[in-house]
Amino acid sequence: MNFDISGAKIFFRIPTGIPILGDFLISETLVVSWIVMAIITGLCIFLTRNLKVENITKRQAVAEMIVETANNFVRNNTGGNKFDKLIPFIAALFGTSIVSNLISLVGLRSPTADLSTEAAWAIVVFIMITANKIKASGFGGYLKGFTTPIFIMTPFNILSEIATPISMACRHFGNILSGVVINGLIYAALAVASSALLGLLPGAVGRVLSQVPILDVGVPAILSVYFDWFSGAMQAFIFTMLTIMYIANAAEG
Amino acid sequence: METQALVTLVPWTFIAQILNLFIQMYLIKRFLFKPINEVLEKRRALADKEIKDARSAKEEADGLKVQYETSIADAREEAAAIVSSAQKEAQARADELVKSAQAQVAGIKAKAEADIAQERKKAINEVKDEIGGLAMDIAGKVVEKEIHEDDHRKLIDEFIKNVGEAS
Repeated sequence: MNFDISGAKIFFRIPTGIPILGDFLISETLVVSWIVMAIITGLCIFLTRNLKVENITKRQAVAEMIVETANNFVRNNTGGNKFDKLIPFIAALFGTSIVSNLISLVGLRSPTADLSTEAAWAIVVFIMITANKIKASGFGGYLKGFTTPIFIMTPFNILSEIATPISMACRHFGNILSGVVINGLIYAALAVASSALLGLLPGAVGRVLSQVPILDVGVPAILSVYFDWFSGAMQAFIFTMLTIMYIANAAEG
Repeated sequence: METQALVTLVPWTFIAQILNLFIQMYLIKRFLFKPINEVLEKRRALADKEIKDARSAKEEADGLKVQYETSIADAREEAAAIVSSAQKEAQARADELVKSAQAQVAGIKAKAEADIAQERKKAINEVKDEIGGLAMDIAGKVVEKEIHEDDHRKLIDEFIKNVGEAS
């Protein structure tokens, strides 16, 4: 029995001829990303239908709860209303992340199981952090910040600055990829186990039944509670939390 | 089917995901935050308005209460004034009545006294005449001579007068 884990499938390749960027790949990552976006946007539209000021529906209550939670999350972690403009961004980041992570439950490949996705998010966050640092202490102050506490520390400071987005991206990616790998292993292992178990049956019945991976039904669901549900929600939360913390810290100078 | 490497950075996917993130941000802002924040703001405005309305209604009620109380107090004062003036008037009228009754009584009394005095005078005069006649008769009988009444009138009167004073 061979078991291999590959990256996202490439459905279509659009040659662009641009040297470094290479071909545009319509991969599973992008397609599922669009599905995720459609789900989130559809949910938003569904939740905010028929908004009323009084006598609200359960749907509206849920929508209001989401908005209030996002508002409170950002305001509590930045201490004030300074970053209210960031709330939709934080919400989009968290929403995309968690739906992307959990979409593996329906058998699609998570867009977050592709490092390109997390790298994209981390770069956006990194640019925001840097922009806030420059805004807080000026460009000179930002550069000067690398030489603290002593000049010798400059390379390490630069390294730690660059490490921020890399660690954020890799942490998220690693957790989701590990879930994908372990789920793949479990499915494969259970298929082997069930074929071995049913192969014990005599004759043609055993030969036919051993092709059906009967153990793959149900058992992986238990493990997916951790690897998909817990890990997925946790990584989305951690990524969002780190984003808001880094940006708040950066703005303090 | 062709697959990409397990751990790799595809430049175009990377760019597309950045764009996706911002598109998603816009969509969430447009379809979730904007309408919900509007509703929340509306509700807040409504609550504020209701509080303001209640406050102004209370102020109005307080004003009305004060007005009402003053008008009640005015009415009470007025009623007291009316009652006291009525009392005064009644008292005055009663006093007047008593006074006029007293005056009437005094008049009746004075008239009665005058009548009495007149009657008395009349009676005295009658008695005087009678006594005068009698005296003349007696004297005539005593002197056996008729006393001419006219001649001796003066004498008689003096006599009667003396009698009257003595009586």
